[in-house]
This record gives sequence, C-alpha cells and structure tokens, in this order.
Amino acid sequence: MNKTKQLLAGLILMAFGLGTAQAAYTLNLMKGVTEISNDIYDLHMLILWICVFIGIVVFGTMFYSIYHHRKSKGHKAEQFHENTTVEIIWTIIPTLILVGMAIPATKAMLELDDVQESEMSIKVTGWQWKWEYEYLDNGIHFFSNLDEASNKARQIDSGIDPRTVPHYLLNVDKPLVIPVKKKIRFVFTAADVIHSWWVPDLGWKKDTIPGFINEAWTSVDEPGTYRGQCTELCGKDHAFMPIVVVAMEQADYDAWVKKTQEEAAKGPDLNDQSHDELVSKGAGVYAKNCASCHMAGGEGVPGTFPAITGSSIVTGDVKAQAELVLNGKGMMPAFGKMLDASELAQVITYTRNALGNSVGDEIQPKAIQELLPEGAAPAASTEKAEPQEQVDASAEMSLDDLVARGESVYAQNCASCHMADGSGMPGTFPALTASPVVTGDIDAQVDLMLNGKGMMPAFGNTLNAVDFAAVVAYTRNKLGNSVGDFIQPSAIQSLQSAMPAEDDDE
Amino acid sequence: MSAVVAEHEHDEHHDHGPQKGLLRWVITTNHKDIGTLYLVFSLAMFFIGGAMAMIIRAELFEPGMQFVDPQFFNSMTTMHALVMVFGAVMPAFVGLANWMIPMMIGAPDMALPRMNNMSFWMLVAGVLLLASTLFMEGGAPASGWTLYPPLVLQTGAALPFAIFSVHLLGISSIMGAINIIATIFNMRAPAMTLMKMPLFVWTWLITAFLLIAIMPVFAGAVTMLLTDRFFDTSFFDAAGGGDPVLYQHIFWFFGHPEVYVMILPTFGVASTIIPVFARKPLFGYSSMVYATASIAFLSFIVWAHHMFTVGMPVAGELYFMYATMLIAIPTGVKVFNWTATMWKGSMTFETPMLFSIAFVVLFTIGGFTGLMMSIAPSDFQYHDTYFIVAHFHYTLVPASVFILMAAGYYWLPKWTGNMYNERIGKLHFWLSAVSVNILFFPQHFLGLAGMPRRIPDYAVQFADWNMISSIGGFIFGISQLLFLYIVIDTIKGGTGEKATDEVWEDAHKHGLEWTLPSPPPYHTFTTPPATVPTEHI
Repeated sequence: MNKTKQLLAGLILMAFGLGTAQAAYTLNLMKGVTEISNDIYDLHMLILWICVFIGIVVFGTMFYSIYHHRKSKGHKAEQFHENTTVEIIWTIIPTLILVGMAIPATKAMLELDDVQESEMSIKVTGWQWKWEYEYLDNGIHFFSNLDEASNKARQIDSGIDPRTVPHYLLNVDKPLVIPVKKKIRFVFTAADVIHSWWVPDLGWKKDTIPGFINEAWTSVDEPGTYRGQCTELCGKDHAFMPIVVVAMEQADYDAWVKKTQEEAAKGPDLNDQSHDELVSKGAGVYAKNCASCHMAGGEGVPGTFPAITGSSIVTGDVKAQAELVLNGKGMMPAFGKMLDASELAQVITYTRNALGNSVGDEIQPKAIQELLPEGAAPAASTEKAEPQEQVDASAEMSLDDLVARGESVYAQNCASCHMADGSGMPGTFPALTASPVVTGDIDAQVDLMLNGKGMMPAFGNTLNAVDFAAVVAYTRNKLGNSVGDFIQPSAIQSLQSAMPAEDDDE
Repeated sequence: MSAVVAEHEHDEHHDHGPQKGLLRWVITTNHKDIGTLYLVFSLAMFFIGGAMAMIIRAELFEPGMQFVDPQFFNSMTTMHALVMVFGAVMPAFVGLANWMIPMMIGAPDMALPRMNNMSFWMLVAGVLLLASTLFMEGGAPASGWTLYPPLVLQTGAALPFAIFSVHLLGISSIMGAINIIATIFNMRAPAMTLMKMPLFVWTWLITAFLLIAIMPVFAGAVTMLLTDRFFDTSFFDAAGGGDPVLYQHIFWFFGHPEVYVMILPTFGVASTIIPVFARKPLFGYSSMVYATASIAFLSFIVWAHHMFTVGMPVAGELYFMYATMLIAIPTGVKVFNWTATMWKGSMTFETPMLFSIAFVVLFTIGGFTGLMMSIAPSDFQYHDTYFIVAHFHYTLVPASVFILMAAGYYWLPKWTGNMYNERIGKLHFWLSAVSVNILFFPQHFLGLAGMPRRIPDYAVQFADWNMISSIGGFIFGISQLLFLYIVIDTIKGGTGEKATDEVWEDAHKHGLEWTLPSPPPYHTFTTPPATVPTEHI
C-alpha cells in the first residue's frame, strides 16, 4: 500500500518534471557541506541551465517545424541548403559558450587539486570489501565494515525488508571521525583491486589504486554524519562497502581521539575462552569477514573461492590454518592486520567446528598473539606538526632532538607508504627497517630523499631543512635501525639551496 | 560461336545464383547474403543482451537481494555490455554496410567477398566463445566490460576464453573495416565522386579507419592482461613495477573511439533518412562530412575523460576537459543540420522518420549530459554513478538502437520487396520511445542523488526511481518483440502490398539503391550506373 503510494507519487513527480525538494526524492546533485562541493554544485547548475536553454531553442525549432512543415498540412518543401553564414554562426556561438564554461571549471579544478597546507592527514586503504583508516598524526587505526543489520538484510532471501533497516547499506560499524573546519588531507591507496572513495557531500571521489598513492582534501563546515559508497567496481561485494564520515566540533573530536587511543592501548582480551564461547562468537566474526567469499554455509564459490566445509586446510593443522588466516595468500587477505587475537581465535575455532566440519579442537587468543608480528603499534603522538613554522636551520641540534622531531615528520610524510613501523608494503613500497639505503651511506640517503626516485617523491622542496634532517635521523635510528649517525639541518640547507628551484609556489 | 556465347552466359547465370539449401548461408560470398547474416545475428544478440538487461532490472526492481548472487549480477552487467557492443550494435552496422554500401555506390559486391564471409563467421565464433564463459567454473567475466585490472585478473577459468574471444572479434572487425575501405575506394561507379557519396557511406568510411586504428590497441591491452595472469609479467601490477592505471589509458584509447564506432554510422543513417521524409536536401552535406571527420579525430585525444578520478596531474585533467568540450562543436553542427533539414520541408512521419526524429532529440539529451560530464570538477561527482549509465544509454539505445530500427523499417521493403505493417511499426515506435525514457531518464536522478553504478542492491532512498526505471525496462524489452514480429511478417509477405522500386516518395533522387527493383536481384550493378542521384548533397 505504502509502496504503491510512493510509486504513484514518483510517477506524478516525473510527469510534471518537478525538481521540488522532497526529502524522499532527491532529483539533483546535493550541495554538500564543503566549499568545493558548493562550487561544484554551482558549476553543475550553470552547465545544466545552459543545456536546458539550448535544448529549448533547438527542440522548440524542431517541434515548430514538425508541427507546421508537414505534408499533411499541405506545406511545400523549400529546397534551400548550404548557407555559410548560418554555419559559421552555429559554430562560433557554441565555441563562445564553451569558453564561458571553461573558466569557472578551470577555477574549481585548480581548487580541488590543491592539497597544500593541510592540518592533518588520514590514510585510506581500500580492501575487498572494507575501508581501512589510519590517522597519520595520532596513530589511530581501524577498519570500517558494513554494519551488521545491513549485512544481515542484504543476504539473498533474508526475509528482512531493507526499509526497516536504518541507513540500509549506508551504515558502518566504525565511522571515520573528523573535526570540522580543518583542512584534512587524505591519502588513498588499495590493498587488492581498485576502489573509489566517494562521499557526495564532500564533493568528490578519488580512486584508490594498489601500489599508488592519490591525494585529496576536504574541510567540512557543518558537524554531521555524511554517507557514501565505493564507486569503482571492485568485485562481488562492491555494493556493500559504504563510507560514513562523522564531522565533529574540535572539542568532541579531541575527546573521541582520547577515548579511541585509550581503548587501543588496552589491547585485545587474551584470556582463555571456553570452546563453546569461541565457536558461538566466531559465527559473528565469520558472517562479517568471511561469508562474502566462502559463503554463509562455507560452501565457497567453485573456481573462485574455496569451500571451508571439508577443506584440508581447515580440518588440518590448526597452526598452519592460523598462519594462512593471519598472513593471507593470493586473494585471501591477511586478517592479522584486521582482526584482534580474540576474534581470530574465535573465527578459526568456529570454522573447524561448524560449517560441516567437526575437528573438535580450538585455538586460544594467546596462541594467536604469539603468531602475530611484534606489536608495532605506532606510539600515539599528541604533538602537532606546524607546517608553516619558521625554523632556524643554522642551529646545531642533538641526535635526540632530531629523532624526537623526526617522529611526527615521518608520520606526516613517510608513513603512508613506508608504514608507521617502517615495514613498507612488500612488493610496492620498500621497508625502511634494515634497508640498505637507510643503513648505508648517509649522503646517498639524503640525495635520494632530496631528489626522489621512481615513485619516491622528491622531498627537497617540500620539507624544510630541520624537518628533513630530523626525519633522516629518525629513519636511521628508529624503526628497528640503529646506525647512530645523523646530519645537521645546516648541511641540508646548503644542499637545498644548491637545488634548482622548481614550481616554487610557497 | 554464338552457341558458345549462349552456353557461357547460361553457365554464368547458373553459377552465380544463390546456392540451394542451408549451405548457401555458410559459404556465401554475396554481400546481400552476408549483410542478412550479420543483421539476423545481431538481432539475436540484441535479444540475448536484452535478456541480461532484464535480469539486471529485475534484481534492481526493489532494494534487497531477490534473484541473483552479486557475483552473477556483475557477470550480467559485464556480459550485457560486451554482447550489446560487440554482438549487437557493431555487427548490425556491419550488416547494413554490407547490404547498402555496394548498392549505394553502384558496385556489384564488396571488394573482398571471401574475407567478408570469414569475418562474419569469426564474429560468430568470438561471440559464442564469449557466451560459453557463462557456463565455466568461476562464472563469466564480472569486472565490467572495461576489464580493469587487478579485478579482471580475479576472473576464474573464463579469463583466457574472454581474451581470446576479444581477439577474434577484433580480427573480424578489422577485416570488415578493410573490406569497407577497399570497396569504397575502388568500386564506386565512375560518376560517384567522394563528395557525392551518401553520408551513410562517408560515416562508415571514417568508422572503418577508426576500427583499424583501435582494435589492435584493445587486442594489445587484453594480451597484456593474459601475460600478467599466466606468464608472470607485471604490466599492470605495481609490485613488479607496473601500473594498473596504464591499462585504463590503453583501454580508453581504444574505448573512446569505440563508442564513436557505434555512433558515426548512426549519424550516417539519420542523415540519409531525414532528407527523404522532409523532401529536402540535407542542409549542409559537406559540413556534415567535415563534422564527422572532426569528431573522429577528436575521439583519439580525449580518452582520459573516462579517468578524471584516477589521480592525474591537474594539467592532464585540464587538457582532457578542454579537448572533450570541443567535441560539442562538431556534434552541435550535426544536430543543427538535421534541424535545418527539417525546417520548411514537407514532412511525413512514417516509422523510419519517427525513429530518426526521436534519435535527434534523445541523442541530443545524451550529448548534453556528455557536455556536463566533460567538466572535470563536476565529473568528480558524476563519475561511476547512474548519471553516467543514463548518459551512455541515451547515446546508445535511443540513438544507435533507434537508428538501427529506423534503418530496418527504411530498407526492409527494399530488401524483401514487401511493405511492413505501418500500424504495428508505429505502435512499436511509440511504445519504445515512451518506455525508453521511463527506463533511462530516472537514472539521471539516481546518479545525481548518489547511486553508484554496477551495484546489485542499493539504499532505500533510491528505491522508487529504480522501480520506475525497471518498469520502463520491462515495457521496452517486451516492445522489441513487436520488431521481431514485424521483421518476420514482412519477410513472409507483410501487408500483402508489394514495395515499389523507390518505396518512399522520390527516394530514387536520394540514393542509388532506390533505382533497383524491390527486392533487388542477387547481383546488382554488374555494370556501374551511368549517373548518380545528387538530391542528398
């Protein structure tokens, strides 16, 4: 009944072609909550109205002609054709209109591209099919999945009416939290295939590409919850990896940061759990993380995703299974990064004792914790980097001062590729821990950082001499390295001044 | 002596009639037979690709997952596109080219008749190979018709088959294109100078050059996918020093001209039909030729407007934005030309004209949204949403497909010698024209409101427009059965009214094909015509 009514309303709306603001029927682009999204909206409306105007003129002429110049009305065809003046006019006028469109479009494009002078950075990694968020300034790190209610309702023949699920398919378990009125730089990459991160209210989307870093920025005016979705086909569950951004006032954001850091510091609960508890809790972990590929019943998808039921891995050595789950293999992602020891123990025990398997054994969180790489959780740094701070490069600095300063410089500039603990991303971004470059000749390292190489950007023009020296000292004496040497800011400054100045837009 | 001559003539007649039985269709080298094969095949593929679209619209009828698994849904969107592009629209235009180009330029056949036969059967092999992937372990390709890596490399057993199928389709298209170019350059009647050729011939000539330029590029891109998957190369894998975005650049260097392969012959047919029913010459023949050539040239230098969000340098974004906006100029020239051709004519509205007028209007709407999308910053909102889906379906369904329908109605009486049922033809038109808008217009709203493309399920605020769109889709799908009925009915005799040679009033002034009998004999223009009509110029 209600559905029929809505449908009728929709049809009536369409019949009148009304663009009225009906909450349930968004017909147009939304204005969004950032300056850039407003600019894009204005640009969109400008072009739309130009098109509507041209359409009225062209179609008006055509339909006038169709009505009046018909044989059934006795209209005799005139045989005119080829008129150079007319043809030149209808080439020049559109050209001028295009020039008129290009000017505001170019302005908006340049604004969209300008990630300079950001106040904080968040790294976004696309996974099949979830988002990973890392706050490069304070070390907060988490995965964001489709919320449980939507996940249940979206299963085929779930029997749940999506209309009863709040924010169906647009809700997550952990939203991205950002402060308002701050210029936030996002860096994007992906772990498996290409995804695209889109929140319409922010005004843009950006592709996340495995092995590459993309950048974009936003500055949200109004506190609120803004929802979006992955917009690049990324496989089976492309439709089920939404994005939720919660923008808060600075004070609320600070409180959230504090609370989140405290929770992270507590770490997972490593106490032993009973067999039944492991299995029953594991079912929920499985539904959220595994069922997309291995299917809810564990039967897998022949030819693509192996079955869990009767699998020789799941029914074989528990440690071997745990290692596979933790470290991934081929299309199987490394869940050691996404789930905590307790959840991992639960889901592994569940697969061994459900879904048609009955091995009868279990694995405890403690055993998992031992298999996980040494806890390299980035220390939460509350220091804020002041990007435009005036620095005195001539002053001598001690190794300790440089290393201390280097930590935040590293988090801002290097950690998105080389990772917070210097482990890199194997195959794409080299590890810094035990790297021959970082532990070798210091001048060679400085040269590489100043001028870049391949995908490594040239930092010579983007970092000031003190920050530059600080991050050199940090990489050589932290992240598992202990070379012991460092370089003074004054030496960096003289190298920088010898560099050719390029695109100096500071 | 005279007996020898007589016997020789008798032999010739005997040898050159159509072969009896089904084998005729397998070994034929006659351009009319091969044209028919192409048209029948493409119509069959139109219904198969359409059935896939019906599955897509059924799943999207309501929020929630009702009928298919998301992976199969992705296979459907992928296969729907591949079948429609490579199985339906492109072969349909090749079929028209085979039938009409020799008859329009006064040639006895295509220049390379045996290759013509081979390119058709290779098309069949390619499409069947592609269709067979539906039944393979892991399912048909599900990465979208663009086959972007790394996702496409996750395809199951189907991947090498799909790639080999693309190779076959590419070879088939290239051979067809070579044939068309050779025919147009070498076999025109002496009086048929280049600037007297009907626009359908002109647009196909330009399209054929596009095909030769782009199909090897696509073949190269998919071969790189093949070696990445099976021979440990890393063209598109960052871990080995490659770049997934490189594939997108190569693909769209093929892909953008490819969409013009489907629209340029459409322009040609519209420019052929509208003057006949307006009883006026085309307003600007030479400017239409130049506009087509400009669009073809521009199509090669705008590819990255499909990739505004991949993270190009801002200079690249601006260049591709400006270059793309330029396409609006020659396209505008075309629309203004068609309008000026109708202006002060003496129009009648038989089914081919109805479809052609709907094409001009609805294609222009697709052009407007294209212009909107060329604006790079706005495209950061539009990209990969239903707004894009609406845009390219407006330029393909009520444009290319409508014009193929128009061409069918326009030339069926010539091909069969029978008039089709005008009443059912008009019914088919009105049902199609109304339902295609119910189907695709709401998708603009969905995209702007934030619905991404290629998703099997959606948030509930998108529910109503999706339902309306699906209803439009079902009506459109069912309406096309009327076309099938009309085609079969006309071949069988239609209304019983025999078609005259010129079929449409004064059509013989517009094209050589209307100076031939309806249906034309198996061999036509064995000697070139002395004069050619010039009314269309």
